[in-house]
Amino acid sequence: MRAKKIVFYILATIIVLLWIAPFMISFFTSFKSMDELMLTRKWWAPPKKWFPSNFITAWKDANMGRYFLNTFIITIPSVLGALFLSSLSAYALAWYKFRLSKLILMIFVGGMLIPFQMLLIPVYRFSVSLGIYDRFIGVILFHIAFQLGFCTFFLRNFMKTIPASIFDAAMIDGAGHFTIYSKIVMPLVLPALAALGILEFTWIWNDYLWSLILIQSDKIKPITLGLVNLQGQWITSWNTMAAGAIIAAVVPLFVFLLFQRYFIEGLTVGSVKG
Amino acid sequence: MRKVLFVFLVLSIVVSLLGAQKLVINSYMSDPAPKKVFAELVEQFKAEHPEIEVTVNTFAHEDFKTLLRTWLNSSNAPDVVTWFAGERMRYFASKGLLEPIDDIFDGGFEAYFPGAFKSASAYEDHIYFVPQSWYWWGVYYRKSIFEKLGLTVPVTWYQFLNTCEKLKEAGYIPITIGTKYLWTAAGWFDYLNMRVNGLDYHLKLTNGEIEYTDEGVKKVFEYWKQLVDAGYFISNHTSYTWQDAANYLFTGDAAMYLMGQFIKDVAPESVKDDLDFFRFPVIDGNIGLYEDTPIDGFMIPAKAQNKEAAKIFLEFIASKEAQEYFASNLGRLAANKDVPAPDAHAQKGLDMILASDGVMQFYDRDTNPEMATAGMNGFVEFMVYPVRIDFILKNLEIERWRIFK
Amino acid sequence: MKSKKWVPYAFLALPLLMYSIWVIFPIFQTLYLSFTDWDGVSPEFSIIGWDNFKLLFQDPYFRISLWNNIKWLIGFAGVSVPLGLLIAMLLDQKFRGSKVYKTLMYLPMTLSFVVIGQIWSWILEPRYGALNSFLSIFGIKSVGWLSDPNIVTYSLIMAASWRQISYAMVLYLAGLKQVPKELVEAAWVDGANGWKRFVHVILPMLRPATIVAITVSVIDSLRAFDIVYVLTRGGPFYSSSVMANYMYIMAFNNYRMGYGSAIATIQFLITLGFIVFYMRNVLKKEEAL
Repeated sequence: MRAKKIVFYILATIIVLLWIAPFMISFFTSFKSMDELMLTRKWWAPPKKWFPSNFITAWKDANMGRYFLNTFIITIPSVLGALFLSSLSAYALAWYKFRLSKLILMIFVGGMLIPFQMLLIPVYRFSVSLGIYDRFIGVILFHIAFQLGFCTFFLRNFMKTIPASIFDAAMIDGAGHFTIYSKIVMPLVLPALAALGILEFTWIWNDYLWSLILIQSDKIKPITLGLVNLQGQWITSWNTMAAGAIIAAVVPLFVFLLFQRYFIEGLTVGSVKG
Repeated sequence: MRKVLFVFLVLSIVVSLLGAQKLVINSYMSDPAPKKVFAELVEQFKAEHPEIEVTVNTFAHEDFKTLLRTWLNSSNAPDVVTWFAGERMRYFASKGLLEPIDDIFDGGFEAYFPGAFKSASAYEDHIYFVPQSWYWWGVYYRKSIFEKLGLTVPVTWYQFLNTCEKLKEAGYIPITIGTKYLWTAAGWFDYLNMRVNGLDYHLKLTNGEIEYTDEGVKKVFEYWKQLVDAGYFISNHTSYTWQDAANYLFTGDAAMYLMGQFIKDVAPESVKDDLDFFRFPVIDGNIGLYEDTPIDGFMIPAKAQNKEAAKIFLEFIASKEAQEYFASNLGRLAANKDVPAPDAHAQKGLDMILASDGVMQFYDRDTNPEMATAGMNGFVEFMVYPVRIDFILKNLEIERWRIFK
Repeated sequence: MKSKKWVPYAFLALPLLMYSIWVIFPIFQTLYLSFTDWDGVSPEFSIIGWDNFKLLFQDPYFRISLWNNIKWLIGFAGVSVPLGLLIAMLLDQKFRGSKVYKTLMYLPMTLSFVVIGQIWSWILEPRYGALNSFLSIFGIKSVGWLSDPNIVTYSLIMAASWRQISYAMVLYLAGLKQVPKELVEAAWVDGANGWKRFVHVILPMLRPATIVAITVSVIDSLRAFDIVYVLTRGGPFYSSSVMANYMYIMAFNNYRMGYGSAIATIQFLITLGFIVFYMRNVLKKEEAL
């Protein structure tokens, strides 16, 4: 029994080490000099001499500060917008019985599972003709709309777990529909909103493809595009690119570590995407 | 001091009254060296034209190629874009996506540029393209490695094979190449085809008039196969970008790289002087010496919002001073005919071109873009699986037939 | 629930409008484009019927892409999901540091594919890369992880599985909350008996998690794109191409929007079956609640 436990402990440790190896490799790489990288090839070993200057190069040269800000400008309204709008639709789909309810729910769920390539060409064309191409608002509106499927599905699931009696009681008390939504239901789904918000935050933060399609100006590019630009320039300087990658990844990582519980909850309750 | 302030005040009022003109330039110059020189050039332009507010957006080269078309179509198109002369420009011009710019040249196009550049910059009767710089292709090599092994520059194909063999025996990678983005392989195809079949044949092929299953094309791959079979190319080249592969040349692991002059942009200072090039070896003495000389430059999208400012900028780019500044800082050849070659290395390149019997742009600039992707994919596939050549050429022929029908 | 009929529609109006504009309508537009020869540039194009689809089935590279999607499917649904379950079973026991272990295992899920691609490009680099450097210690000759056409797809699946396994594990860890810890522990240490209990007791309790994990993995494997795009763009010569990537290249590099739309349409039709399956299961399950 005891021996088996030790074996098991070792096994778990090996797997975890294997899992974080890519992180360690990037971390060490970002602090090494190119000479050390090429000569020793010991990716898994800590740097012999630490070179924080890689981060300065990445930050300055890639204009990371600006990209950082842009990502926030895109991500925060997108998350808030998606949460707000989906709470409306989820509320309607969770509490009211009406003819098209099932169909509409299916549309939302179906939309979130389709291959996104289906949308690429038309969305681009549409943004251009609407005059919101290459603007923050264009990307934000798209993100909001695109995330509505998942958010609605997620919040509706959660609202379904609230006992219907609460709703009925409020109705009998004569509360208006919007009052019930804002004063009764929303406070109850706050934990779910938090979970969903964290999840959406990391997804939108990490988006690359849609920004690539909908943005052309350096001025408003998010950090993922900035990182790819950096790769284009520092293609053979792995240390600088590693530093850039760490800069780009640090916010979602930090958010995850802080709100881990919500993040996991979001993934499992929503049960889709990744 | 007061006076200066006053003038400045008046000027700024005038500017704001006129409404500052905007100018958006999308550029693919993302390698540090050209990016820097271009930024300096834009600063000079700004100093000359304070009334124009210039924004430069820089894109990684490969992304730029994909995105350009979406911009040209958008109502929010940039005002100026970098691009390539020849078929790749004409493709857009033929769709009405570019602005004709005949009127920006005082005294006509030929007052600025060699007559030979005109056809590469025009579509039907209009000029759409301002050439900025051009460069040559050659076999770049490390002088020190050649010296150490007592090798001389090969002139004929046989000598070239010999050089490769000696390099290999000495433990070097004879030829480096990075085919992740395909086009580097097209350099080999261009040169082999021009050396084996000559310029006319090559021109007909890129125009879609010759079948890819033609005996001439097959012969090209027989020569290419000699290098592949002997293991002269670097292994795993499909996972390298052209810069990754160039690194092998810089570290001294590899000795040669068939590449354009811009390889110098990415070379570290320490090896720059050790890099030299020689003309692609002669295969058939009866066939002339032809070269690839791609021309880079700028154009204005038809949907650009600030065409006036864009034209002012292109006028500036066409000027002798601006051309000289860009070319000399990067060691390229300026398109403007009054600018001399900036250094000995460029002079050598220029002499090689002047002594040649004719030039092409480059495979992916001379042929239809779709054919180019298919073709280059085939070339790379051949470099990995030379035995598949018949199958590859058959597929290319199907594509050619579909595209050029 | 008695209420005025328009009320739910009032709540739904704005979200549904936005969703229709940006998600639903584009689907139909792509379906339409797949019957045209639009090049993405010209203002005019013509309707060419089934030509794109006919070409598609003769296109050897499309066949490779489709076949690679099947490899992804097996890798994701057939390998990642069981591995996720295994690791979840391993970590879902009481031991010191189990929380830290779990947290570390979750980490890959927070990264964008741009960053993941970046990290794996160093690991898989043929000459100096981490994996080959590591293997060289044991005298194994360098492997062309991303350049050998026979290996490249598996390398990509490996990189993507790094994240997918974490995801499957999360789902199973959530599912295992319903299972008493003693049962999980017993499954590990009880030998044949434990195995039996795992198959007959634990696995059935995890059925909802399994359904979700498998469907999601199948759908993700059919729309795989980012990692392929970042690491190889489908190369060398389309040997690691998947449908999504091939569509992107055709539409955005090769100026064949109509053809690209046809690929997207095929992809959509294949996925449709799984989407319906998913909706039936998930919606049914929750109706039972």
